[in-house]
Amino acid sequence: MREAVLDADARAVWASLGRSGVLSRDRPAEVLRSLLPSLDAQYSLGIVLSVCVQIATALPILRSHGPSGVVGRVSAEAARGEVVLALAATDAGAAGSDLMDLTTSARLSEDRVVVDGGKRWITNAVTADCALVLARHRPQRHFTSFLWVLVPLDAPGVTRESAGSLFSGAGVGHLTFSGVSVGRDHVVGAPGRGLAMFARHVATERLAGALWASALCRRVLADTRRVLAARPLGSGVAWDNAVVRDRFARGLVEARRVEALCSSFREGELVDSMVVKVAVAESVDRVLAVCAELLGAESFADGGVAGLRAEAAMFGVAGGASGALLAGVADHADYLLGGAR
Amino acid sequence: MDSRFADMLRPFLKYAGGAEITLESSLRDLGLDSMQAIELLFAIEDTYQVSLPDELLTDTTFATAGSLWAAISGARQC
Repeated sequence: MREAVLDADARAVWASLGRSGVLSRDRPAEVLRSLLPSLDAQYSLGIVLSVCVQIATALPILRSHGPSGVVGRVSAEAARGEVVLALAATDAGAAGSDLMDLTTSARLSEDRVVVDGGKRWITNAVTADCALVLARHRPQRHFTSFLWVLVPLDAPGVTRESAGSLFSGAGVGHLTFSGVSVGRDHVVGAPGRGLAMFARHVATERLAGALWASALCRRVLADTRRVLAARPLGSGVAWDNAVVRDRFARGLVEARRVEALCSSFREGELVDSMVVKVAVAESVDRVLAVCAELLGAESFADGGVAGLRAEAAMFGVAGGASGALLAGVADHADYLLGGAR
Repeated sequence: MDSRFADMLRPFLKYAGGAEITLESSLRDLGLDSMQAIELLFAIEDTYQVSLPDELLTDTTFATAGSLWAAISGARQC
């Protein structure tokens, strides 16, 4: 359905957004609300993923450091689209959603930071110029034991490995850091605030996912509707069939559910973001399942809905797996039922 | 420790029930998990208009109501 966009380059898209000035705005949620429908319409899922991660999380974390020093300089370059960023949180030494047990370390001295460890399934890992690396600078299992380090990915001791062909354009891969030494001025924000900074911005990343899912569902449903209206069936077209219409309507109801969740989202609200993310992941899969079923064999064509559905399973994994988020939702049951936090 | 601080803490401590929160109360024993500790940090910094200094961002600071209150009091005087 969108063959023309599959060869686009994520770096070129990022550079174009930078030149337009949109990346310099400091309200990422508003930027994403305005950008995502057109990004989804024009580019592959991988390219949208590449852009989304940077706008929702990487740039805001860099920006929170302020304009000074090397971090401030890279932040400005990224906002101009000249530097591509990776956000390296998911750790090779711990389960994806278990940041508290991550093992990538940052040894601080007076003027240096030395990073050792690995990060897996990182968007833009293969293509980025710099990675924001979440690392442990103290052994205690406490949220104050983590910091962010800005690591140039051409630094000695960094190796990158592609994670395969899924999410084409997103440059997903694995990073290894072996005695990577950078100046102490590469620490982003204050040591000890790494997880808190992430928490500040991960809610926006989840809203980005929901907005993107909403645009994606709307587009795929519209495309499916056009195919059904033109596909001969009996003496008419598939769209005339009551069973087809019922199936399609169920998908449409799910899509509207996603839109409603986006509208009710309170920006920066972590608990809301967990609920929304779990719900959206389930709804996207239902919508794409309906469309794949209605389109039949056509959904397995290159760029078709079946492949998209496999990639869209990411909505239930990246940024917090549904199972882990449901545990958080249960922890806040009283608050979500109207009680105190 | 002012009563406003105890009131702020209580919603983050799922095992506190109606018991009094004292300076010696262990925040972890009363149910403060890592995510809630982050939210508590945000609440403290918003409510008291302070930023806890880097050297006090440790597990020891968040160990008891008293240690956390001492950190807040120190930051307010800076």
